[in-house]
Amino acid sequence: MNFAPLDWAIVGIYLLLSVTVGVLARKYVGSVADYLVAGRELGTYLGIATLAATEIGTITFMYNAEFGYRYGFAAFLPALISGVVMIVVGRTGVVIARFREMKLMTVPEFFEKKYSRGLRLLTGILVAVGGILNMGVFLKIEGEFLTIVSGINIKYLVAVMTAILLLELTYTVVGGMVAVVVTDFIQYALLSVATILVSIFAVYHAGWANMVEKVAHTLGSAGFNPLENPKFGWSFLFWQILLWFSVHTCWQTTAMRMFSTRSPETSKKVMTWTGFIFLGRGMLPMIWGIAALALFGTGPLLAGSPLPVVNGHTLAPIDAMPAMLAQILGPGIKGIVVAGMLAATMSVNSSYLLGWSAVISQDIVLPLRQIMHKPQLSSRRQIFVNRLANLFVSLFLMFWGLYYTPPGAVYLYLNITGTIFLAGAFACVLGGLYWKKASTTGGYLAMILGAAGAIVPFFFFHWSENITGFAAFGLAAAGLLLGSFLKPRQLAANSAGGFP
Amino acid sequence: MSLWLYFWVANLILAGLTFVLITGVVIVRGIDDLKEMFRRLTKGESERD
Repeated sequence: MNFAPLDWAIVGIYLLLSVTVGVLARKYVGSVADYLVAGRELGTYLGIATLAATEIGTITFMYNAEFGYRYGFAAFLPALISGVVMIVVGRTGVVIARFREMKLMTVPEFFEKKYSRGLRLLTGILVAVGGILNMGVFLKIEGEFLTIVSGINIKYLVAVMTAILLLELTYTVVGGMVAVVVTDFIQYALLSVATILVSIFAVYHAGWANMVEKVAHTLGSAGFNPLENPKFGWSFLFWQILLWFSVHTCWQTTAMRMFSTRSPETSKKVMTWTGFIFLGRGMLPMIWGIAALALFGTGPLLAGSPLPVVNGHTLAPIDAMPAMLAQILGPGIKGIVVAGMLAATMSVNSSYLLGWSAVISQDIVLPLRQIMHKPQLSSRRQIFVNRLANLFVSLFLMFWGLYYTPPGAVYLYLNITGTIFLAGAFACVLGGLYWKKASTTGGYLAMILGAAGAIVPFFFFHWSENITGFAAFGLAAAGLLLGSFLKPRQLAANSAGGFP
Repeated sequence: MSLWLYFWVANLILAGLTFVLITGVVIVRGIDDLKEMFRRLTKGESERD
Protein backbone atom coordinates (compact mmCIF):
# COMPACT_ATOMS: atom_id res chain seq x y z
CA MET A 1 0.00 0.00 0.00
CA ASN A 2 1.45 3.37 -1.09
CA PHE A 3 -0.95 5.46 1.01
CA ALA A 4 -0.11 6.74 4.50
CA PRO A 5 -2.90 7.35 7.11
CA LEU A 6 -2.55 11.11 6.43
CA ASP A 7 -3.30 10.52 2.73
CA TRP A 8 -6.43 8.49 3.56
CA ALA A 9 -7.58 11.22 5.96
CA ILE A 10 -7.21 13.95 3.28
CA VAL A 11 -9.10 11.88 0.70
CA GLY A 12 -11.82 10.97 3.22
CA ILE A 13 -12.41 14.60 4.27
CA TYR A 14 -12.65 15.69 0.64
CA LEU A 15 -15.17 12.96 -0.24
CA LEU A 16 -17.35 13.74 2.77
CA LEU A 17 -17.32 17.48 2.05
CA SER A 18 -18.05 17.05 -1.64
CA VAL A 19 -20.96 14.63 -1.32
CA THR A 20 -22.51 16.55 1.60
CA VAL A 21 -22.41 19.89 -0.23
CA GLY A 22 -23.81 18.24 -3.36
CA VAL A 23 -26.73 16.65 -1.54
CA LEU A 24 -27.52 19.89 0.34
CA ALA A 25 -27.87 21.69 -3.03
CA ARG A 26 -31.09 19.73 -3.56
CA LYS A 27 -33.16 22.41 -1.84
CA TYR A 28 -32.45 24.87 -4.68
CA VAL A 29 -33.98 22.60 -7.37
CA GLY A 30 -37.55 23.64 -8.14
CA SER A 31 -37.96 23.15 -11.89
CA VAL A 32 -36.51 21.23 -14.84
CA ALA A 33 -34.54 24.39 -15.76
CA ASP A 34 -33.04 24.45 -12.24
CA TYR A 35 -32.24 20.73 -12.48
CA LEU A 36 -30.67 20.77 -15.97
CA VAL A 37 -29.25 24.31 -16.41
CA ALA A 38 -29.10 25.66 -12.81
CA GLY A 39 -31.83 28.21 -13.57
CA ARG A 40 -29.41 29.87 -16.09
CA GLU A 41 -27.71 31.66 -13.20
CA LEU A 42 -24.00 31.06 -13.87
CA GLY A 43 -21.79 34.13 -13.66
CA THR A 44 -18.45 34.39 -15.50
CA TYR A 45 -16.16 33.05 -12.76
CA LEU A 46 -18.42 30.24 -11.65
CA GLY A 47 -18.98 29.40 -15.32
CA ILE A 48 -15.22 29.13 -15.93
CA ALA A 49 -14.81 26.92 -12.83
CA THR A 50 -17.60 24.54 -13.76
CA LEU A 51 -16.69 24.35 -17.47
CA ALA A 52 -13.03 23.70 -16.67
CA ALA A 53 -13.90 21.15 -13.97
CA THR A 54 -16.28 19.39 -16.36
CA GLU A 55 -13.65 18.97 -19.03
CA ILE A 56 -10.69 18.16 -16.74
CA GLY A 57 -10.89 14.71 -15.19
CA THR A 58 -8.54 11.91 -14.21
CA ILE A 59 -9.37 10.50 -17.64
CA THR A 60 -8.05 13.78 -19.17
CA PHE A 61 -4.83 13.55 -17.17
CA MET A 62 -4.43 9.88 -18.10
CA TYR A 63 -4.96 10.17 -21.85
CA ASN A 64 -2.94 13.37 -22.17
CA ALA A 65 -0.08 11.87 -20.15
CA GLU A 66 -0.27 8.75 -22.35
CA PHE A 67 -0.11 10.99 -25.43
CA GLY A 68 2.96 12.78 -24.06
CA TYR A 69 4.58 9.43 -23.22
CA ARG A 70 3.95 8.00 -26.69
CA TYR A 71 4.63 11.05 -28.88
CA GLY A 72 6.86 13.41 -26.84
CA PHE A 73 6.57 17.18 -27.34
CA ALA A 74 4.78 16.69 -30.68
CA ALA A 75 1.77 15.63 -28.57
CA PHE A 76 1.34 19.31 -27.63
CA LEU A 77 -0.28 19.97 -31.01
CA PRO A 78 -3.88 18.88 -30.10
CA ALA A 79 -3.59 20.71 -26.76
CA LEU A 80 -2.63 23.90 -28.57
CA ILE A 81 -5.45 23.46 -31.11
CA SER A 82 -8.08 22.81 -28.41
CA GLY A 83 -7.11 25.96 -26.49
CA VAL A 84 -6.77 28.29 -29.48
CA VAL A 85 -10.04 27.09 -31.06
CA MET A 86 -11.83 27.62 -27.74
CA ILE A 87 -10.52 31.19 -27.51
CA VAL A 88 -11.67 31.86 -31.10
CA VAL A 89 -15.15 30.45 -30.36
CA GLY A 90 -15.36 32.58 -27.21
CA ARG A 91 -14.18 35.79 -28.87
CA THR A 92 -16.46 35.45 -31.89
CA GLY A 93 -19.40 33.85 -30.06
CA VAL A 94 -19.95 31.61 -33.09
CA VAL A 95 -22.81 29.16 -32.34
CA ILE A 96 -22.62 29.52 -28.53
CA ALA A 97 -24.11 33.03 -28.29
CA ARG A 98 -26.97 32.06 -30.62
CA PHE A 99 -27.55 28.86 -28.63
CA ARG A 100 -27.78 30.84 -25.39
CA GLU A 101 -30.24 33.30 -26.95
CA MET A 102 -32.49 30.36 -27.90
CA LYS A 103 -32.69 29.23 -24.23
CA LEU A 104 -31.98 25.59 -25.03
CA MET A 105 -31.44 22.84 -22.45
CA THR A 106 -29.86 20.22 -24.73
CA VAL A 107 -28.12 20.35 -28.13
CA PRO A 108 -30.65 18.07 -29.92
CA GLU A 109 -33.43 20.49 -28.84
CA PHE A 110 -31.99 22.87 -31.46
CA PHE A 111 -32.76 20.29 -34.16
CA GLU A 112 -36.50 20.43 -33.45
CA LYS A 113 -36.48 24.24 -33.49
CA LYS A 114 -34.56 24.47 -36.78
CA TYR A 115 -35.37 21.19 -38.55
CA SER A 116 -37.94 18.67 -37.27
CA ARG A 117 -38.93 16.57 -34.25
CA GLY A 118 -37.82 13.41 -36.05
CA LEU A 119 -34.33 14.81 -36.59
CA ARG A 120 -34.19 15.80 -32.92
CA LEU A 121 -34.98 12.19 -32.01
CA LEU A 122 -32.32 10.78 -34.36
CA THR A 123 -29.76 13.30 -33.09
CA GLY A 124 -30.71 12.48 -29.49
CA ILE A 125 -30.08 8.77 -30.12
CA LEU A 126 -26.71 9.42 -31.83
CA VAL A 127 -25.65 11.91 -29.13
CA ALA A 128 -26.55 9.39 -26.41
CA VAL A 129 -24.79 6.47 -28.17
CA GLY A 130 -21.63 8.45 -28.99
CA GLY A 131 -21.53 10.16 -25.60
CA ILE A 132 -22.06 7.02 -23.54
CA LEU A 133 -19.54 5.00 -25.61
CA ASN A 134 -17.13 7.91 -25.10
CA MET A 135 -17.67 7.88 -21.34
CA GLY A 136 -17.61 4.07 -21.30
CA VAL A 137 -13.84 3.85 -20.82
CA PHE A 138 -13.67 6.49 -18.06
CA LEU A 139 -14.39 4.33 -15.02
CA LYS A 140 -11.89 1.59 -15.76
CA ILE A 141 -9.05 4.02 -16.49
CA GLU A 142 -9.88 6.13 -13.42
CA GLY A 143 -10.02 2.95 -11.33
CA GLU A 144 -6.59 1.92 -12.68
CA PHE A 145 -5.18 5.33 -11.76
CA LEU A 146 -6.45 5.13 -8.18
CA THR A 147 -5.34 1.55 -7.62
CA ILE A 148 -1.83 2.19 -8.99
CA VAL A 149 -1.24 5.46 -7.07
CA SER A 150 -2.74 4.31 -3.77
CA GLY A 151 -1.34 0.79 -4.03
CA ILE A 152 -4.74 -0.92 -3.68
CA ASN A 153 -4.58 -4.47 -5.13
CA ILE A 154 -5.72 -4.51 -8.77
CA LYS A 155 -8.21 -7.30 -7.93
CA TYR A 156 -10.31 -4.61 -6.21
CA LEU A 157 -10.57 -2.57 -9.45
CA VAL A 158 -14.30 -3.31 -9.87
CA ALA A 159 -14.96 -2.29 -6.25
CA VAL A 160 -13.07 1.00 -6.80
CA MET A 161 -15.04 1.66 -10.03
CA THR A 162 -18.32 1.00 -8.24
CA ALA A 163 -17.39 3.26 -5.33
CA ILE A 164 -16.49 6.15 -7.69
CA LEU A 165 -19.78 5.74 -9.54
CA LEU A 166 -21.95 5.55 -6.42
CA LEU A 167 -20.38 8.66 -4.89
CA GLU A 168 -20.97 10.85 -7.93
CA LEU A 169 -24.41 9.37 -8.57
CA THR A 170 -25.49 10.27 -5.03
CA TYR A 171 -25.41 14.01 -5.55
CA THR A 172 -25.95 14.15 -9.33
CA VAL A 173 -29.26 12.27 -9.16
CA VAL A 174 -30.45 14.24 -6.16
CA GLY A 175 -29.30 17.79 -6.89
CA GLY A 176 -28.91 17.95 -10.70
CA MET A 177 -26.99 20.86 -12.24
CA VAL A 178 -27.07 23.00 -9.07
CA ALA A 179 -25.29 20.23 -7.13
CA VAL A 180 -22.90 19.65 -10.03
CA VAL A 181 -22.00 23.37 -10.25
CA VAL A 182 -21.37 23.73 -6.51
CA THR A 183 -19.25 20.59 -6.28
CA ASP A 184 -17.49 21.56 -9.53
CA PHE A 185 -16.31 24.76 -7.85
CA ILE A 186 -14.73 22.89 -4.92
CA GLN A 187 -13.38 20.25 -7.26
CA TYR A 188 -11.89 22.83 -9.63
CA ALA A 189 -9.92 24.44 -6.79
CA LEU A 190 -8.60 21.07 -5.64
CA LEU A 191 -7.77 19.66 -9.07
CA SER A 192 -5.92 22.86 -10.03
CA VAL A 193 -3.71 22.63 -6.92
CA ALA A 194 -3.05 18.96 -7.75
CA THR A 195 -2.20 19.81 -11.39
CA ILE A 196 0.31 22.46 -10.38
CA LEU A 197 1.89 20.26 -7.67
CA VAL A 198 2.29 17.26 -9.98
CA SER A 199 3.80 19.39 -12.75
CA ILE A 200 6.46 20.74 -10.38
CA PHE A 201 7.24 17.32 -8.87
CA ALA A 202 7.36 15.55 -12.27
CA VAL A 203 9.82 17.98 -13.88
CA TYR A 204 11.92 18.18 -10.69
CA HIS A 205 12.28 14.39 -10.40
CA ALA A 206 12.77 13.57 -14.09
CA GLY A 207 14.97 16.61 -14.88
CA TRP A 208 14.16 18.85 -17.85
CA ALA A 209 17.40 18.00 -19.73
CA ASN A 210 16.75 14.26 -19.29
CA MET A 211 13.21 14.65 -20.62
CA VAL A 212 14.36 16.48 -23.77
CA GLU A 213 17.21 14.02 -24.32
CA LYS A 214 14.95 10.98 -23.85
CA VAL A 215 12.42 12.26 -26.40
CA ALA A 216 15.22 13.08 -28.88
CA HIS A 217 16.84 9.66 -28.36
CA THR A 218 13.68 7.53 -28.62
CA LEU A 219 11.49 9.48 -31.06
CA GLY A 220 14.01 11.65 -32.94
CA SER A 221 12.72 14.80 -34.63
CA ALA A 222 9.20 13.26 -34.79
CA GLY A 223 9.06 13.76 -31.02
CA PHE A 224 9.17 17.53 -31.57
CA ASN A 225 7.81 18.19 -35.05
CA PRO A 226 4.18 16.97 -35.31
CA LEU A 227 4.20 17.20 -39.09
CA GLU A 228 7.05 14.65 -39.23
CA ASN A 229 5.34 12.25 -36.84
CA PRO A 230 3.57 9.50 -38.84
CA LYS A 231 0.68 9.50 -36.33
CA PHE A 232 -0.04 13.18 -36.95
CA GLY A 233 0.62 15.14 -40.17
CA TRP A 234 -1.71 17.48 -42.07
CA SER A 235 -4.80 15.20 -41.99
CA PHE A 236 -4.55 15.07 -38.19
CA LEU A 237 -4.13 18.84 -38.01
CA PHE A 238 -7.28 19.60 -40.04
CA TRP A 239 -9.34 16.87 -38.32
CA GLN A 240 -8.37 18.25 -34.91
CA ILE A 241 -9.33 21.81 -35.87
CA LEU A 242 -12.77 20.61 -37.07
CA LEU A 243 -13.18 18.32 -34.09
CA TRP A 244 -12.39 20.99 -31.50
CA PHE A 245 -14.65 23.55 -33.17
CA SER A 246 -17.45 21.00 -32.95
CA VAL A 247 -16.59 19.99 -29.36
CA HIS A 248 -16.58 23.57 -28.07
CA THR A 249 -19.91 24.35 -29.75
CA CYS A 250 -21.90 21.08 -29.86
CA TRP A 251 -20.55 18.82 -27.10
CA GLN A 252 -23.48 18.33 -24.75
CA THR A 253 -21.64 18.89 -21.43
CA THR A 254 -19.85 22.00 -22.71
CA ALA A 255 -23.01 23.36 -24.34
CA MET A 256 -24.97 22.82 -21.09
CA ARG A 257 -22.56 25.22 -19.37
CA MET A 258 -23.20 27.79 -22.09
CA PHE A 259 -26.99 27.29 -21.69
CA SER A 260 -26.57 27.79 -17.93
CA THR A 261 -24.88 31.20 -18.13
CA ARG A 262 -26.73 34.43 -17.29
CA SER A 263 -26.45 35.87 -20.83
CA PRO A 264 -24.91 35.26 -24.28
CA GLU A 265 -22.18 37.79 -23.37
CA THR A 266 -21.34 35.79 -20.22
CA SER A 267 -21.14 32.58 -22.28
CA LYS A 268 -18.56 34.23 -24.59
CA LYS A 269 -16.42 35.36 -21.65
CA VAL A 270 -16.59 31.92 -20.02
CA MET A 271 -15.54 30.22 -23.27
CA THR A 272 -12.66 32.66 -23.95
CA TRP A 273 -11.03 32.42 -20.52
CA THR A 274 -11.53 28.66 -20.27
CA GLY A 275 -9.63 28.45 -23.58
CA PHE A 276 -6.46 29.57 -21.77
CA ILE A 277 -7.05 26.92 -19.10
CA PHE A 278 -7.42 24.36 -21.90
CA LEU A 279 -3.83 25.02 -23.00
CA GLY A 280 -2.65 23.88 -19.56
CA ARG A 281 -5.27 21.11 -19.40
CA GLY A 282 -3.50 19.42 -22.31
CA MET A 283 0.14 20.42 -22.04
CA LEU A 284 0.74 20.01 -18.29
CA PRO A 285 -0.34 16.32 -18.14
CA MET A 286 1.60 15.70 -21.37
CA ILE A 287 4.70 16.92 -19.53
CA TRP A 288 3.94 14.36 -16.80
CA GLY A 289 3.89 11.68 -19.52
CA ILE A 290 7.24 12.86 -20.91
CA ALA A 291 8.68 12.81 -17.37
CA ALA A 292 7.41 9.23 -16.96
CA LEU A 293 9.06 8.33 -20.29
CA ALA A 294 12.37 9.74 -19.04
CA LEU A 295 12.10 7.83 -15.75
CA PHE A 296 10.66 4.47 -16.84
CA GLY A 297 10.91 4.21 -20.66
CA THR A 298 13.34 1.27 -20.78
CA GLY A 299 11.16 -1.61 -22.02
CA PRO A 300 10.66 -3.13 -25.49
CA LEU A 301 9.44 -0.81 -28.25
CA LEU A 302 5.70 -0.55 -28.96
CA ALA A 303 4.76 1.51 -32.04
CA GLY A 304 8.03 3.44 -31.82
CA SER A 305 8.12 4.22 -28.09
CA PRO A 306 9.53 2.04 -25.26
CA LEU A 307 7.11 0.44 -22.81
CA PRO A 308 7.47 1.61 -19.19
CA VAL A 309 9.22 -0.74 -16.77
CA VAL A 310 8.55 -0.11 -13.07
CA ASN A 311 10.11 -2.32 -10.36
CA GLY A 312 10.73 -5.04 -12.96
CA HIS A 313 7.14 -5.03 -14.25
CA THR A 314 6.35 -3.93 -17.81
CA LEU A 315 3.28 -1.68 -17.92
CA ALA A 316 1.05 -0.18 -20.61
CA PRO A 317 2.03 3.41 -21.63
CA ILE A 318 -1.15 4.81 -20.04
CA ASP A 319 -0.12 3.41 -16.63
CA ALA A 320 3.33 5.05 -16.64
CA MET A 321 2.11 8.37 -15.20
CA PRO A 322 0.26 6.97 -12.14
CA ALA A 323 3.20 4.64 -11.48
CA MET A 324 5.47 7.69 -11.50
CA LEU A 325 3.21 9.55 -9.05
CA ALA A 326 3.21 6.55 -6.71
CA GLN A 327 7.01 6.78 -6.57
CA ILE A 328 7.76 10.53 -6.53
CA LEU A 329 5.06 11.95 -4.21
CA GLY A 330 5.55 11.83 -0.45
CA PRO A 331 2.91 11.33 2.30
CA GLY A 332 0.45 14.21 2.53
CA ILE A 333 1.26 15.46 -0.98
CA LYS A 334 0.04 12.13 -2.36
CA GLY A 335 -3.21 12.51 -0.43
CA ILE A 336 -3.74 16.06 -1.79
CA VAL A 337 -3.00 14.92 -5.35
CA VAL A 338 -5.29 11.87 -5.17
CA ALA A 339 -8.05 13.99 -3.61
CA GLY A 340 -7.51 16.43 -6.50
CA MET A 341 -7.71 13.60 -9.03
CA LEU A 342 -10.83 12.24 -7.34
CA ALA A 343 -12.27 15.74 -7.52
CA ALA A 344 -11.46 15.85 -11.22
CA THR A 345 -13.02 12.41 -11.72
CA MET A 346 -16.22 13.26 -9.90
CA SER A 347 -16.68 16.64 -11.58
CA VAL A 348 -16.34 15.15 -15.06
CA ASN A 349 -18.40 12.04 -14.44
CA SER A 350 -21.25 13.83 -12.66
CA SER A 351 -21.50 16.39 -15.48
CA TYR A 352 -21.34 13.71 -18.14
CA LEU A 353 -23.95 11.57 -16.36
CA LEU A 354 -26.23 14.59 -16.18
CA GLY A 355 -25.49 15.57 -19.79
CA TRP A 356 -26.18 12.21 -21.41
CA SER A 357 -29.16 11.41 -19.20
CA ALA A 358 -30.61 14.85 -20.06
CA VAL A 359 -30.42 13.90 -23.74
CA ILE A 360 -32.13 10.54 -23.09
CA SER A 361 -34.97 12.10 -21.09
CA GLN A 362 -35.44 15.35 -23.06
CA ASP A 363 -34.56 14.29 -26.61
CA ILE A 364 -35.52 10.62 -26.79
CA VAL A 365 -38.23 9.93 -24.21
CA LEU A 366 -40.15 13.23 -24.50
CA PRO A 367 -40.26 13.41 -28.35
CA LEU A 368 -41.25 9.71 -28.47
CA ARG A 369 -44.15 10.42 -26.10
CA GLN A 370 -45.22 13.35 -28.30
CA ILE A 371 -45.03 11.22 -31.44
CA MET A 372 -47.21 8.61 -29.68
CA HIS A 373 -49.66 11.41 -28.62
CA LYS A 374 -49.11 10.80 -24.91
CA PRO A 375 -49.81 13.70 -22.49
CA GLN A 376 -46.89 15.98 -21.57
CA LEU A 377 -44.99 15.04 -18.41
CA SER A 378 -45.05 17.36 -15.41
CA SER A 379 -41.82 18.98 -14.21
CA ARG A 380 -41.54 16.46 -11.36
CA ARG A 381 -42.05 13.50 -13.72
CA GLN A 382 -39.42 14.88 -16.14
CA ILE A 383 -36.90 15.06 -13.30
CA PHE A 384 -37.83 11.50 -12.30
CA VAL A 385 -37.27 10.25 -15.88
CA ASN A 386 -33.92 12.04 -15.87
CA ARG A 387 -32.92 10.31 -12.64
CA LEU A 388 -33.87 6.91 -14.12
CA ALA A 389 -31.77 7.73 -17.20
CA ASN A 390 -28.86 8.53 -14.86
CA LEU A 391 -29.08 5.06 -13.35
CA PHE A 392 -29.34 3.39 -16.77
CA VAL A 393 -26.26 5.22 -18.06
CA SER A 394 -24.33 4.28 -14.89
CA LEU A 395 -25.08 0.57 -15.30
CA PHE A 396 -23.96 0.67 -18.92
CA LEU A 397 -20.72 2.41 -17.93
CA MET A 398 -19.84 -0.39 -15.52
CA PHE A 399 -20.49 -3.04 -18.18
CA TRP A 400 -18.68 -1.30 -21.06
CA GLY A 401 -15.70 -0.27 -18.90
CA LEU A 402 -15.07 -3.89 -17.93
CA TYR A 403 -15.77 -5.34 -21.38
CA TYR A 404 -13.99 -3.00 -23.80
CA THR A 405 -10.36 -1.90 -24.07
CA PRO A 406 -9.48 0.76 -26.71
CA PRO A 407 -7.02 -0.61 -29.29
CA GLY A 408 -4.70 2.46 -29.44
CA ALA A 409 -4.17 5.74 -27.60
CA VAL A 410 -7.23 6.51 -25.46
CA TYR A 411 -7.25 10.14 -26.66
CA LEU A 412 -7.92 8.97 -30.21
CA TYR A 413 -10.68 6.53 -29.11
CA LEU A 414 -12.42 9.39 -27.31
CA ASN A 415 -12.09 11.59 -30.40
CA ILE A 416 -13.64 8.95 -32.67
CA THR A 417 -16.59 8.13 -30.38
CA GLY A 418 -17.26 11.86 -30.07
CA THR A 419 -17.11 12.19 -33.85
CA ILE A 420 -20.05 9.72 -34.16
CA PHE A 421 -22.44 12.59 -33.50
CA LEU A 422 -20.21 15.67 -33.63
CA ALA A 423 -19.54 15.44 -37.38
CA GLY A 424 -23.24 15.52 -38.30
CA ALA A 425 -24.31 17.79 -35.45
CA PHE A 426 -21.67 20.42 -36.29
CA ALA A 427 -22.71 20.49 -39.97
CA CYS A 428 -26.41 20.73 -39.02
CA VAL A 429 -25.86 23.43 -36.38
CA LEU A 430 -23.76 25.58 -38.72
CA GLY A 431 -26.29 25.02 -41.51
CA GLY A 432 -29.27 25.69 -39.26
CA LEU A 433 -27.83 28.92 -37.88
CA TYR A 434 -25.99 30.41 -40.84
CA TRP A 435 -27.35 28.88 -44.08
CA LYS A 436 -30.94 29.56 -45.06
CA LYS A 437 -31.12 26.65 -47.49
CA ALA A 438 -30.24 23.93 -44.96
CA SER A 439 -33.16 21.49 -45.02
CA THR A 440 -34.42 18.63 -42.86
CA THR A 441 -33.46 16.08 -45.51
CA GLY A 442 -29.95 17.52 -45.54
CA GLY A 443 -29.92 17.27 -41.75
CA TYR A 444 -30.86 13.57 -41.81
CA LEU A 445 -28.18 12.81 -44.41
CA ALA A 446 -25.55 14.75 -42.44
CA MET A 447 -26.29 12.91 -39.18
CA ILE A 448 -26.45 9.45 -40.80
CA LEU A 449 -23.38 9.86 -43.02
CA GLY A 450 -21.37 11.51 -40.22
CA ALA A 451 -22.14 8.67 -37.80
CA ALA A 452 -21.54 5.94 -40.41
CA GLY A 453 -18.29 7.65 -41.44
CA ALA A 454 -17.03 7.42 -37.84
CA ILE A 455 -18.37 3.99 -36.82
CA VAL A 456 -17.82 1.78 -39.90
CA PRO A 457 -14.17 2.60 -40.77
CA PHE A 458 -12.98 2.64 -37.11
CA PHE A 459 -14.82 -0.26 -35.47
CA PHE A 460 -15.16 -2.57 -38.53
CA PHE A 461 -12.32 -1.74 -40.95
CA HIS A 462 -9.81 -0.50 -38.31
CA TRP A 463 -8.75 2.50 -40.40
CA SER A 464 -6.50 5.13 -38.82
CA GLU A 465 -8.26 7.66 -36.57
CA ASN A 466 -7.09 10.63 -38.70
CA ILE A 467 -8.62 9.34 -41.92
CA THR A 468 -11.78 8.13 -40.14
CA GLY A 469 -12.34 11.43 -38.35
CA PHE A 470 -11.63 13.56 -41.38
CA ALA A 471 -13.87 11.38 -43.57
CA ALA A 472 -16.76 11.62 -41.08
CA PHE A 473 -16.73 15.43 -41.11
CA GLY A 474 -16.43 15.48 -44.91
CA LEU A 475 -19.33 13.02 -45.36
CA ALA A 476 -21.52 14.98 -42.94
CA ALA A 477 -20.93 18.26 -44.78
CA ALA A 478 -21.54 16.56 -48.14
CA GLY A 479 -24.75 15.02 -46.77
CA LEU A 480 -26.10 18.39 -45.63
CA LEU A 481 -25.32 20.01 -48.99
CA LEU A 482 -26.66 17.12 -51.07
CA GLY A 483 -29.87 16.69 -49.06
CA SER A 484 -30.56 20.42 -48.98
CA PHE A 485 -30.22 20.71 -52.76
CA LEU A 486 -32.18 17.49 -53.48
CA LYS A 487 -35.07 18.46 -51.18
CA PRO A 488 -34.87 22.18 -50.41
CA ARG A 489 -36.13 23.77 -47.22
CA GLN A 490 -39.44 25.04 -48.72
CA LEU A 491 -40.52 21.49 -49.58
CA ALA A 492 -39.55 20.24 -46.13
CA ALA A 493 -41.27 23.12 -44.32
CA ASN A 494 -44.50 21.15 -43.88
CA SER A 495 -42.76 18.61 -41.73
CA ALA A 496 -41.13 21.18 -39.44
CA GLY A 497 -42.22 20.42 -35.90
CA GLY A 498 -43.68 17.04 -36.84
CA PHE A 499 -42.38 13.57 -37.49
CA PRO A 500 -41.47 13.34 -41.21
CA MET B 1 14.18 20.23 -33.98
CA SER B 2 15.43 22.99 -31.66
CA LEU B 3 13.04 25.53 -33.21
CA TRP B 4 10.12 23.24 -32.44
CA LEU B 5 11.42 22.74 -28.90
CA TYR B 6 11.61 26.52 -28.33
CA PHE B 7 8.08 26.85 -29.74
CA TRP B 8 6.69 24.19 -27.39
CA VAL B 9 8.57 25.56 -24.37
CA ALA B 10 7.11 29.05 -25.03
CA ASN B 11 3.63 27.51 -25.28
CA LEU B 12 4.18 25.49 -22.12
CA ILE B 13 5.25 28.57 -20.15
CA LEU B 14 2.22 30.51 -21.41
CA ALA B 15 -0.08 27.58 -20.58
CA GLY B 16 1.36 27.12 -17.07
CA LEU B 17 1.28 30.82 -16.16
CA THR B 18 -2.27 31.45 -17.43
CA PHE B 19 -3.46 28.26 -15.71
CA VAL B 20 -2.14 29.47 -12.35
CA LEU B 21 -3.32 33.06 -12.82
CA ILE B 22 -6.86 32.28 -14.00
CA THR B 23 -7.27 29.60 -11.32
CA GLY B 24 -6.41 32.14 -8.61
CA VAL B 25 -8.84 34.77 -9.93
CA VAL B 26 -11.65 32.24 -10.49
CA ILE B 27 -11.38 30.79 -6.97
CA VAL B 28 -11.51 34.24 -5.34
CA ARG B 29 -14.22 35.82 -7.53
CA GLY B 30 -16.25 32.62 -8.05
CA ILE B 31 -17.43 32.66 -4.43
CA ASP B 32 -19.41 35.86 -5.13
CA ASP B 33 -20.95 34.18 -8.19
CA LEU B 34 -21.97 31.19 -6.05
CA LYS B 35 -23.63 33.44 -3.46
CA GLU B 36 -25.47 35.34 -6.20
CA MET B 37 -26.69 32.09 -7.82
CA PHE B 38 -28.07 30.83 -4.51
CA ARG B 39 -29.72 34.18 -3.78
CA ARG B 40 -31.49 34.27 -7.14
CA LEU B 41 -32.48 30.58 -7.04
CA THR B 42 -33.92 31.08 -3.54
CA LYS B 43 -35.92 34.15 -4.63
CA GLY B 44 -37.03 32.44 -7.85
CA GLU B 45 -35.59 35.20 -10.05
CA SER B 46 -34.02 32.80 -12.52
CA GLU B 47 -35.32 32.20 -16.06
CA ARG B 48 -37.90 29.45 -15.49
CA ASP B 49 -38.42 28.55 -19.11
